[in-house]
Order: sequence, then C-alpha cells, then structure tokens
Amino acid sequence: MARRSRTVVQEEDAELNMTPMLDVVFILLIFFIVTSVFVKTPGVDPFKPEAETAKAWQPGILIAVNAQNEIWIDKRPYDLSEVRPVITAMRDENPKAEAIIIADKDAEVGISMGLQDLMQDLNISTRVSTE
Amino acid sequence: MRRRRNKTSDEAEVDMTPMLDIVFIMLIFFIVTATFLDERGIDLTQPPPPPDDLPDTQPKPAITVYVDNQTICSVDGNQTECDRVSLAVERLLADKPGANIILRVNESARHGMLVRLKDEFDGKGLGSKIEIVRNS
Repeated sequence: MARRSRTVVQEEDAELNMTPMLDVVFILLIFFIVTSVFVKTPGVDPFKPEAETAKAWQPGILIAVNAQNEIWIDKRPYDLSEVRPVITAMRDENPKAEAIIIADKDAEVGISMGLQDLMQDLNISTRVSTE
Repeated sequence: MRRRRNKTSDEAEVDMTPMLDIVFIMLIFFIVTATFLDERGIDLTQPPPPPDDLPDTQPKPAITVYVDNQTICSVDGNQTECDRVSLAVERLLADKPGANIILRVNESARHGMLVRLKDEFDGKGLGSKIEIVRNS
C-alpha cells in the first residue's frame, strides 16, 4: 500500500531507463579491453635522440638506458652483465614480442649496442627508440 | 500494459544493477591500466655476416667514418665536424662510387651521435654498416 502511494507521488522519475548508458559503458569497456597492452614500462624516461627515418613500432618489451648508463627494465636498474636472464624470462613470457631500446642521447654506444647484440642473440627483433 | 505485465511477471524485470556495478569496476580498471604506447624507432640491427665460403669478389672501396670515445668524428682519417660528416661522405662517394660506408663507433661515444649519423645516412639512401670498437 505504501509503495503504491509512493509511485503515485514520484511517478515522473520512478523508472530511469539505464539501457543506453549500459550500451555506452559496454562499448567503452570493450574498447579499453581491446586496446590495453600490458607492457612492463621501464620506469625511467630518457631523452631520446631525434631521427627522421624512424618508423612506428609496437614493442612488447621495453628496455631503457639512462644517461648514467643504467639499464632499466620493469622499474629496476640492471647492469649489462646481469640483464640476459631478465630478457630471456620476458621473451619466454611473450615469445612473439618485439623489443625497443629506449636509450638516452648521452648513454654510451657500448651499452645500447651491447643490449641490441644480446637481443639479436635471443632472436628478438629490436629497434632503437627515437623522438 | 497491464495484461503484458501479468503474463510475463516471472521474467519481466531483471535487476541490472549488480552487473552494471561490475562492468563499471572493470571499465575503471581498464582505463587506469591502459598505457598507450607511441614508440618510434630506427633499425640499427646489422645483417648477419656473409658466409666465409663465398667466392672472393673484387673488394669494394670503403669509406670509414670513425667516432671516437670523446664523440669526435672523422671521415677516412680526417677529423670532421660531426654535422658535416654526411656531406664529407657524399663528396668522397663522388670519387669512389659504390663504396661501402663503415660507421665505426667507439663504445664510449654518445648513443645520440650514432643514431644521428645512421639516420642521416638512411635519409640520404646510403647504406651503412655499424661496427662497435671495444676499448679492451
């Protein structure tokens, strides 16, 4: 009985149609699921060199080298000598992943190219990130 | 209206609220974790060396660009400003058509210089080979 009187009072806003909102929310959800890439970001943001001939690259493995020649993977610093098992583990997790080396302009060539040699040794196709 | 309601009273109103809650939580999770990668890169990988049993052909002339540990550039032994390396190489190429360009970089040189030189050569359509010189 009480319910009946209530519906009479608030008849105008009693039933809000949620279906269109639900549709929009679903479409947004599907968009974010499809576009989400779970990559492990290095955790540092080096000053990348500039290049004209660079092409877009969709990496699954990100490796950064900062100006102090530290190698950063998944927010941890490593040394060139200890990085191999880490990259091997990442490759085994995602065998088809391509990699990118995000090296600082002022990093040493020995580090960035040493990393690249390591990746080639592990059969991971690699590019060097530029601006 | 009334008739319809009576007829389908069992399945008439499915409560969507819990599903909507879950969908919202998932949506927020995916929005928060979404990382939009916009990476661009150049290819510095070197092709594997050719097999040794290849018949010896006439060795091609080579132009060597050297970048030392202080990131000072030289072309065929002549010290050159790094900005002018590609001009110098083009001039030498006019004398030695079809020469290979060998980009020898000391391992202590700055990474930015290697990328810049390789990019300049690639931009001019000149193939170049990268060699890293170890200090040991």
